[in-house]
Amino acid sequence: MAKAYGIVTMAGSHIRIDGMMDFRPVSAFSFLGRYRIIDFPVSSLSNSDIENIHVYVSQNPRSLAEHLGSGRVYNINSKRGNLQLLFNQDSNLNDIYNTDIQAYYDNMDVIERVHQPYVIIVPGNMVYLQDYARLLSEHIESGADITVLYHKVNNAKSEFRNCEVVNLNRQKGVKSIEKNEGNLDERNIFMNTYVMKNELFMELIKKAKKTSSILRLVDIINMENEDLDIRGIQHKGYFDVITDFKSYFDSNLALLDIDAQQELFKSEWPIYTQTTDACPVHYCNGSSVKNSMVANGCVIEGSIENCVIGRGVEIKKGAVLKNCIVSSHALISEGVHLENQVVDKYAKILNIKEIIATADKPGYVRRNDVL
Amino acid sequence: MKQNSMLAMVLAGGRGSRLKDLTNKVAKPAVSFGGKYRIIDFPLSNCANSGIDIVGVLTQYESVLLNSYAAAGRNWGLDSKDSGVFILPPREKADGNLDVYRGTADAISQNIDFIDSYNPEYLLILSGDHIYKMNYSKMLAFHREHKADATIAVIGVPKKEASRFGIMATDEEGRIVEFQEKPKVPKSNLASMGIYIFNWKLLRKMLLSDMKNNESHHDFGKDIIPTLLNDGKLLYAYKFKGYWKDVGTIDSLWEANMDLLDDTNELDLGDPSWKIYTEDATERPQYIGADAEVKNSYITQGCRVEGKVESSVLFTGTSVASKAVVKDTVLMPGSAVEEGAKVTRALVANGVRIGKGAVVGNAKSEEILLVANDVEGVK
Repeated sequence: MAKAYGIVTMAGSHIRIDGMMDFRPVSAFSFLGRYRIIDFPVSSLSNSDIENIHVYVSQNPRSLAEHLGSGRVYNINSKRGNLQLLFNQDSNLNDIYNTDIQAYYDNMDVIERVHQPYVIIVPGNMVYLQDYARLLSEHIESGADITVLYHKVNNAKSEFRNCEVVNLNRQKGVKSIEKNEGNLDERNIFMNTYVMKNELFMELIKKAKKTSSILRLVDIINMENEDLDIRGIQHKGYFDVITDFKSYFDSNLALLDIDAQQELFKSEWPIYTQTTDACPVHYCNGSSVKNSMVANGCVIEGSIENCVIGRGVEIKKGAVLKNCIVSSHALISEGVHLENQVVDKYAKILNIKEIIATADKPGYVRRNDVL
Repeated sequence: MKQNSMLAMVLAGGRGSRLKDLTNKVAKPAVSFGGKYRIIDFPLSNCANSGIDIVGVLTQYESVLLNSYAAAGRNWGLDSKDSGVFILPPREKADGNLDVYRGTADAISQNIDFIDSYNPEYLLILSGDHIYKMNYSKMLAFHREHKADATIAVIGVPKKEASRFGIMATDEEGRIVEFQEKPKVPKSNLASMGIYIFNWKLLRKMLLSDMKNNESHHDFGKDIIPTLLNDGKLLYAYKFKGYWKDVGTIDSLWEANMDLLDDTNELDLGDPSWKIYTEDATERPQYIGADAEVKNSYITQGCRVEGKVESSVLFTGTSVASKAVVKDTVLMPGSAVEEGAKVTRALVANGVRIGKGAVVGNAKSEEILLVANDVEGVK
């Protein structure tokens, strides 16, 4: 039995993804055609034998509730394990009230009842693999109060602008966690991943709540830095984060690279997701497919290049798609030409023959829309 | 109130020796089909979609993989409280020896207790080695409507092929008047699909006497059906229209896979109202590379194509490396075609590796080549 339970957080209120987020939280965004982003943190937790997992959600919970189901697809033991959705009501008064601390506070009774002495908190908007069992034992061995994960990058001036960075001292002690101001390229991106004792976690929630209503977990940890032993551990391997529409678009297309695929998909570390029992893909006569990922259930008659195509998508004759992300059950009819677009679920592109955007500013076709 | 008026028994004990090396280690019903399925997914999904809750699977030959596969009833949604898939291999009984199943009817006879425990009104007998989609509840409605003692599903076959099948001669109402097993001169073109509905009470009685009959082959086609006809019982033929294929040979298995490439194919695995369910593979999405060329092919999750694929069916987790050419070929799960290799008109068995630059198969050959062992690359 693992000594820790897991929490998958919702994305902070500073993360807004126009359009797509009207329908579901970031963690429920479709990814690589057949996954949702949350499949990555939950699979990693499950592969690490963490079987008690709380998933936080505040708005539009339907999509996430539907996807996670009982947790059986994540190989979580149906008797011993538990995959639980925890709701909290976001305040309409002002977005600043909508902090992770508020969500934890609203669910304090659940947190208090957990048997496991440790908590592992992971974000619902990042894509990476992590053996949390190993992270937990490193944390316990080090004797630290809190361990956080960071990922070293060399392009923080232009990328990861909506992330925080970890400043470390020489002993890998965390000096501070602060906003990425984009002034340095070499940065340790904060992965919103924490390990600590559940007792300390509860203490921090209460303290934050008492101090101010707008504090986030990372804020209270920064404030308590003097009194706590906080250490950073460097994460190695594939890492991506979805903080806005552009990064969502890019993070999908980035995995068309074979080396990137090898880094993220390992046979000993499966990524689980809900099955839909869709049949294999039929590439019909006259279709052309280059550098693309295609989920099952699709019928491809047209041409696609650098695309990620979700389940059950139909691409009709003469349609040409370049650099597009098409979510499940969308229909692209004859002769339609799309470039740099994200087409959301069940959208039908029938009458418009051309939608072209640039890779810097990809376009979005709303869920269920008929164009 | 839940009703178990009809219980299904799937005959899945056969080896399918005409599938050669494909069935060396697995029984025929566990052989892969259509990119992501196994043959037994078809009767099991049909049961689930027809509202049959209890399915017994009679296994015998190389049954370990098949047992564990079929036991996971949840793959087909057969896992609610009153539902389940039950694996029934031959087993030692209190009153006697450990008998193997001596025939299709004997397999049912040895499980009378199991069937009795659900007290069904009707028993549906299915074979575990055909590819088709069928609503058994419609067949049951037909059976009830005709107040039949037994109903046999039949399909029209071309006259010249009729002598390969068990043929049912019927009157105008569809009542079976004669049954001919692989006749030289067939009296009709209605072939038995090996799908029977029996009134359980009647069949039970027949099986008990068949068990004691030393001259019986204990077979439905050879013994039970002819006896019922002799006894003047009401046997009806239920005409099935649609796709149905016995995939008993390498050629027919290959052909059935190739049928999926035909847009007008009646099997239509993409029909959301009658899905075929199967084990969920935790494989990455399929990836078609920047220099790949894919023409008229059926490709599933976990595949990676960087070479050329034409008129082929690629199963879970197969790979075609750059400059390789795969044409008119079935690549079974986990097989790999390495750089520059060429595979034509072949069925490549599970996990087989075709080495760099190797050339396998011939476009002009009449028979489909079964590649059951790794092929060394060319240096």
